[in-house]
Amino acid sequence: MIDTTPRTGGLDARIRLTRGAVQVDVALTAEPGQVVGVLGPNGGGKTSAVLALAGVLRLDDGHVRVAGEVWADGRRHLVPEQRGVGLMLADSLLFPHLRALDNVAYGPRSRGVDRRTARERAGVELERVGLGDRVAAKPLELSSGQQARVALARALATDPTLLLLDEPLAALDPDTRARTRTDLATRLAAYTGVTVLVTHDPLDALTLADHLVFVEDGRVTQTGTPSDVLREPRSAYAGTVVGLNLYAAQGDSHGHVLTADGGLIVTTSPTEGAVWATVAPSAVSLHEHEPEGSPRNTWRLRIASVTMQGQSARVGLTGDLPLTAEVTLESVAALGLHVGREVWAAVKATEVHTYPR
Amino acid sequence: MTSTAGLGPGPRRGAGPPTRNAGRWRTRVVLGVPAALALLLLVVPLVALLLQADWARIPSDLATPTVLPALRLSLTTTSITAVLCLLLGTPLAWFLARSDHPATSWARALLTVPLVLPPVVGGVALLMTWGRNGLIGQHLAPFGIQIPFTTVAVVLAETFVAMPYYVLAVEASMRGLDPRLESVARTLGAGDLRYLRTVAVPLVLPGIASGLALAWARALGEFGATITFAGNFPGRTQTLPLLVYVELERDPQVAISISIMLLAVSVLVLGVLRGRWLR
Repeated sequence: MIDTTPRTGGLDARIRLTRGAVQVDVALTAEPGQVVGVLGPNGGGKTSAVLALAGVLRLDDGHVRVAGEVWADGRRHLVPEQRGVGLMLADSLLFPHLRALDNVAYGPRSRGVDRRTARERAGVELERVGLGDRVAAKPLELSSGQQARVALARALATDPTLLLLDEPLAALDPDTRARTRTDLATRLAAYTGVTVLVTHDPLDALTLADHLVFVEDGRVTQTGTPSDVLREPRSAYAGTVVGLNLYAAQGDSHGHVLTADGGLIVTTSPTEGAVWATVAPSAVSLHEHEPEGSPRNTWRLRIASVTMQGQSARVGLTGDLPLTAEVTLESVAALGLHVGREVWAAVKATEVHTYPR
Repeated sequence: MTSTAGLGPGPRRGAGPPTRNAGRWRTRVVLGVPAALALLLLVVPLVALLLQADWARIPSDLATPTVLPALRLSLTTTSITAVLCLLLGTPLAWFLARSDHPATSWARALLTVPLVLPPVVGGVALLMTWGRNGLIGQHLAPFGIQIPFTTVAVVLAETFVAMPYYVLAVEASMRGLDPRLESVARTLGAGDLRYLRTVAVPLVLPGIASGLALAWARALGEFGATITFAGNFPGRTQTLPLLVYVELERDPQVAISISIMLLAVSVLVLGVLRGRWLR
C-alpha cells in the first residue's frame, strides 16, 4: 500500500522569476530522502521558490527536474496537478467541509483512485501521523497540531516525489510546535522523496534538515549542512539564526581582524584577507573595570538591551563593536546591568574564530 | 416602540456638566428627527397596507380565477430564473472572482448596470434584442420563433434584472475563499472543475443561497421590464405584480390581498437571509 521503493534521482532546480520587487534566482538540489531547509528573512523569495516548485508560479527562466522528470524548463511548464508534489503550508488549509479521512483521501480521489481504495490509503496515512482514531473529525474539531498532522498526511497520500513544507509549524503555539516537530521528523524519516522545508525557525532547520540553503533578497547566500552553518555562518542573517556574533572583516597574518565598521579584534587563529569572524555570545564576559591578564580583547561598550532566556540573559552591546553577550542572571544582578550603562566586554583571543569570506 | 431603539435617549453614562448635556440633546434633535422621519417614510406604507387589508377576505381573494394563473406563472418563471442564475451565473461569478484582468472590472461594471437601470429601459433593451427586428430576434423570426409577449420573455426579463444580484453575491463569496486552498487542491491533483465542484461550491453555498434568495425575490417583484417586453396577457405573461396593477383599477381589495401575500413572501425571504446566511 505504501510506496517504499527507493526513487531514482532527486531534485535539481534553478528557479528564476520576479515576484513583486524581488528578483528570485535560487538553485536547489537534493538527493531522494533528503530534507533541504530553506531559510531567510520574510519577503526574500522563499515562498515564491516553493510555489514555483509546486507549479503555481511560472518560471521566467531556469528548470525544475524531479526524479528524472522535467517539470519545467524553457519550453515546458507542468501545472500543479500534473506534478507529483505535496504541499503543506503554515495554516494547515484543510478543506473545512470534509472530515479528516476525506481530506486525506482527496488527493488519491483526484488522481483517479476509487473511493474505497482512496479511503483505505487515507486511513493508513492518518494512522502514520498518530490520528487513526480521529478519521471522522471535521477540521474544526481538531486541535491545531492535529490539523497540521492531517495536512501532512494529506500531502503524502499521493506519494509525491517532492514534498514542500512552507513554514509547517509557524502557526502552532510553542508546546504544540515542539511535539509536532517530533512527529514531523518521525514521518519524514520514512519518506523516500525529496523534502523542501521553508522556515525561519532555526530549531526546525537544525533538527529536521540535512542540508540548509539561505535565501536572502532572492539570492542564495549560503548552503551547507547544519553543522557547517553552525560553525561558519556566512551572512548576517545566518549569524542570527545560529546565534553567533558575526563580522565581515579583513584579517592579517598577525591575528588582527579589522571589521567593516572599524572595530579591531585579536585572534589566535589568523586568516589573511577577507574573512568572517565569529564570537559566541557565551564567550563574552562583562566587567565593571577593565580586565587584565591573558591576551584578550576588551572594549568599553554601552548596553542597548537585556533579554532573559531561561537561566541566562542576552545583553546587546553597542559601541566600537556591536556585540551580544550571554551572561548568567547572577552577573546581571551583581554588575547591575541595565540599558544605557557602560561596561567592559572581554573576549579571549582563543575564542575568536576566523574563516575566509 | 422597539423600532426607534438607538434613536431615543439612551442609558446615561453619569451626569455630565449641564452644557455637555445640552449639547447632547441638540445632537439628538438634529440627527434624531431626520432619522425618525426616514424610518417613518419606510414603515408607514407597510403599516398602511396591513391596516387597509380585509383579512377575512384574503383567502377568497387569492382564490379569484385571475389570481391562480398569475401565481402559477410567477412561481414557474421565477423558479426558472433562479435555475438560470445558478447554472449561468455561478460560472460567471467564478471567472469574475478569479481574474484580476482589467477586462474583469469592466465586466463587473457592465453587470451592475441592470441593477441601476430603470426596469422599463431594460424592457426596451430586451425588445431591441429579441424583437422581430431585434439584434437576435431578426435571425429567429425566419424560423417562426417569436420571443416578445411570451412566457419566455417573462423569464428573460426576470433573468435580466435578477442575475446581477446573484452574480455579485456569489462573486463576493468566492473572493472570500483563501486562494491557497486552490493551490493545495491542485497539488493534490484536482483540476479547475474538480476544485470548483468539490471545494469552492460547497464552501460558498451560503453565498449561493443568499444570492438565489435575492435574485428570486427581485424576479418575483419584476414589473417594468416584464410589462414592456412581455406584455400583460393573463395566463401567459401576467405575473403577480402585473395582476396587482390591473386589479387596483378593478377591485382594489384583491390588489391589497395579493400585495399582502407578496409582502409576506418578501419578509420570509429576508428572514431566511438574516437568520441563516447573512451574519
